[in-house]
Amino acid sequence: MPVSTEHYENEISDGRNTRAVKCSYCQSAILSPAAGTFMRNEFHLPLMKQIKTSELNPEKELISSFWLVPDMYTFQNVGFSNTVGTTKFLVCADCEAGPIGYHDLQNGKSYIALSRVRHC
Amino acid sequence: MAKSYDYLFKLLLIGDSGVGKTCVLFRFSEDAYNTTFISTIGIDFKIRTIELDGKKIKLQIWDTAGQERFRTITTAYYRGAMGIMLVYDITNEKSFENIKNWIRNIEENASADVEKMLLGNKCELEEKRQVSKERGEQLAVEYGIKFIETSAKASIRVEEAFYTLARDIKAKMEKKLEASNPPKGGHQLRASEPQRKPTNWLSRCTIL
Repeated sequence: MPVSTEHYENEISDGRNTRAVKCSYCQSAILSPAAGTFMRNEFHLPLMKQIKTSELNPEKELISSFWLVPDMYTFQNVGFSNTVGTTKFLVCADCEAGPIGYHDLQNGKSYIALSRVRHC
Repeated sequence: MAKSYDYLFKLLLIGDSGVGKTCVLFRFSEDAYNTTFISTIGIDFKIRTIELDGKKIKLQIWDTAGQERFRTITTAYYRGAMGIMLVYDITNEKSFENIKNWIRNIEENASADVEKMLLGNKCELEEKRQVSKERGEQLAVEYGIKFIETSAKASIRVEEAFYTLARDIKAKMEKKLEASNPPKGGHQLRASEPQRKPTNWLSRCTIL
């Protein structure tokens, strides 16, 4: 299982995102600067590119660096997938690339994977 | 942290299956990068931020995918909806005729003052057109709602449609607030809506 290497010290100031968070593919604005709080949290997020035969059992990657977004209306633009278990996956609202993170239905919070978005 | 918006509007996309509602789900860009995983589970709703008259407006936009038959859409689905996009396919006569059924369904189930707008989608397919623009306009006049022809696929006027609907909801809301709350000096208008927290769509999930 791939593990993303994550060095994001420069992206964090006062525990929040220094720069805006955008889609890696189409530049759609996801979070304004300082809208997310950095947190370490282990989650196995399905890969954005899947082999077609593995749709029912998607290949995942362990991700541990997230921007925590407690209120979903903090997002500039984002899409929520249908529910899978207790999770909704987050996607770019424009090009629907994803998952770029997940939403936990049990605590109502959203988590954006730093490695799946662009900071600029 | 201070609230990052002034208004929150819940919008629904309603119409027969195949009219392109999913594409209308506020897709501004054409850089479609749809992964197999996401397209398999599907999108439930999107959050969009737009700005109108210096106010930040959050749009929460729901698609009816998977429950397109109007009989199956009930009060629970319409709860809290402030705007409805009625979508038909200009290359599909039946989808246009069904708009009347959808409107009846809305009248029976949704709040009476929900803002509605008629969208004739797929206007890039001129050679396959079955419903003239005039008929769309006429139907909209009949119901006293606005009308626009869009092409979600070619990104034509989709954004404009949502801005128009949002502007009308905002105007209606401000009028209401003013009526119940005569303005004093420096008085700030604020929607009572943001109180509805994520529970609104959790409750909706129960009818899925």
